[in-house]
Amino acid sequence: MLSAGRDVAVERAAPVSRRAALLSTRLVARDTWWQEFDCPDIAASALPGQFVMLGVGLDAPGAWLLPRPFSVGWTGPGGEVGILLRAYGQGTRALATLEVGQTALLLGPLGRPFDTEGADVECIAGGVGLAPFIFLAAREAAAGRCVRLIYGERDAGAVFDPALIARLTDHDPEVFTEDGTAGRKGLVTAGLDPASSALLLGCGPTPLLRALAAFAREHGRRLQVSVEEHMGCGIGTCQGCVVRAADGSWVKSCIEGSVFPAEELDWGEI
Amino acid sequence: MFGAEFPSPVLLASGTCGYGQEYADLIPLDEIGGLVTKAVSLEPRPGNPPHRVAETPGGMINAIGLENPGLHGFIAEKLPWLREHLRRAQVFVNVVGHSAEDFAAVVRGLDEEDGFLGYEINVSCPNVKGGTMFGTDERALSDLVARLRACTERPLVIKLTPNVPDVGDFARICEEAGADGLSAINTFPGMVVDIARREPLIGNRSGGVSGPAILPMGVYATWRARQTCGLPIMGIGGIRNAEDALQYILAGACLVQVGTASFVDPGAAVDVHEGISKYLTANGIARLEDLVGALSAWPGSGPAIPAG
Repeated sequence: MLSAGRDVAVERAAPVSRRAALLSTRLVARDTWWQEFDCPDIAASALPGQFVMLGVGLDAPGAWLLPRPFSVGWTGPGGEVGILLRAYGQGTRALATLEVGQTALLLGPLGRPFDTEGADVECIAGGVGLAPFIFLAAREAAAGRCVRLIYGERDAGAVFDPALIARLTDHDPEVFTEDGTAGRKGLVTAGLDPASSALLLGCGPTPLLRALAAFAREHGRRLQVSVEEHMGCGIGTCQGCVVRAADGSWVKSCIEGSVFPAEELDWGEI
Repeated sequence: MFGAEFPSPVLLASGTCGYGQEYADLIPLDEIGGLVTKAVSLEPRPGNPPHRVAETPGGMINAIGLENPGLHGFIAEKLPWLREHLRRAQVFVNVVGHSAEDFAAVVRGLDEEDGFLGYEINVSCPNVKGGTMFGTDERALSDLVARLRACTERPLVIKLTPNVPDVGDFARICEEAGADGLSAINTFPGMVVDIARREPLIGNRSGGVSGPAILPMGVYATWRARQTCGLPIMGIGGIRNAEDALQYILAGACLVQVGTASFVDPGAAVDVHEGISKYLTANGIARLEDLVGALSAWPGSGPAIPAG
């Protein structure tokens, strides 16, 4: 088991590095793919909120590419590891063009997972921040716990097929779009229920996490967020992915996060 | 080499392997040549604000800012693990300071400790104020090396900066001042601009560029250093595979360090060693030492050996 810098309630497995074949890839929204890799080691040990570093390795043809972090989006009974990949730049575009049967290098599972403590949870996802909640909702549903899944995108074209989400998780997501072309119109935070006492879990763009932190503070709600900084290694060696902690220190989002209780972070600097 | 046995000629480079523990689950650390720790300074350093790293064409840029727990933190929190877990792999402690006295205090503070072989003196970090000061000033470098030489009998390796007119001059200065070896080279200063925000991408504004993009510069620096001094050289900069490492070895390096490539594949250092061994076998070369600096003077004048 890994030792962790901060108090970590959930035990996590040591990471492994594996060359894994792409089993399936499916365009699920604009510039967004759902990819499943054959990686039983990681599938067996990953926990919701943990991530993998995904790259093509050193001997792949084409341009040099550092691996990129992706939340584990799902694990299948046959050792599948699912990720939700949105192409933002050259690196993610190169990964998006992987074809079934080709291999990639997966390093994981990495990072601190969500700790739901058996409580009812409300998951608030912005964009591909949805991925860890697909995994979490599937696990929590299997355990018979109540999960509310609120998912926001800019417009309908970016929305990951709600039917597929429902099939993977056994939960119907509540969809919000900023322009109202799918689901309810508005920011995903409009779906927050001030009367609820469920544990809040957030993953998505920084402005969303900041808004969630303010909501949680105002309503006395517990909140855990998954943050992401630029990462070099994913295992704590490069010290590249720091965020500011509430005590003024830098904490590494790869090892000490990527999930943090909101009160551990300095929201003025995030 | 440096009075010690290296299980492999391939080490993990400073700043890319933490203090070893992070790699313990991923590679057989005791089967690689060793590792060079993240820099250790006299006092703890918090490091630079994010972003600290970004990919660049053919490599990456970083400006971590030498974040480290300081001398006492290193001795209390990091060294015990290295001492306990690395039996064969050799450990160099990378040392950094704002002043010559800072460097000397770290070396003096560590010298009685067990668990490491020697020092790699970082006179070449581009990411902190004054970080390259000692590496780019001939007099300051000479004085620093002489001063540290007086503090220790352990192997004293100086990590050179490429940011000088001729690395060869600085290599010779290190030898004359009493160093035992050189690491060639550290990162190149660089910058990435975020054109959407019209501002520097990296929190420190500039950073150090590493990765395959700097391979030929590192090989050249190694070759220049080999021409001007007789010190053993650890070749570093852009090594991804055995072919890259062999370029350094033929140019004059007796050991190599793998850095950024470990981020792409944690097993890179293991694979590089395996590839070097295959090359030696394929070419009927008994010992790696026979290849060190063995490149011919000009194209067309070397032996007709097919590459393995």
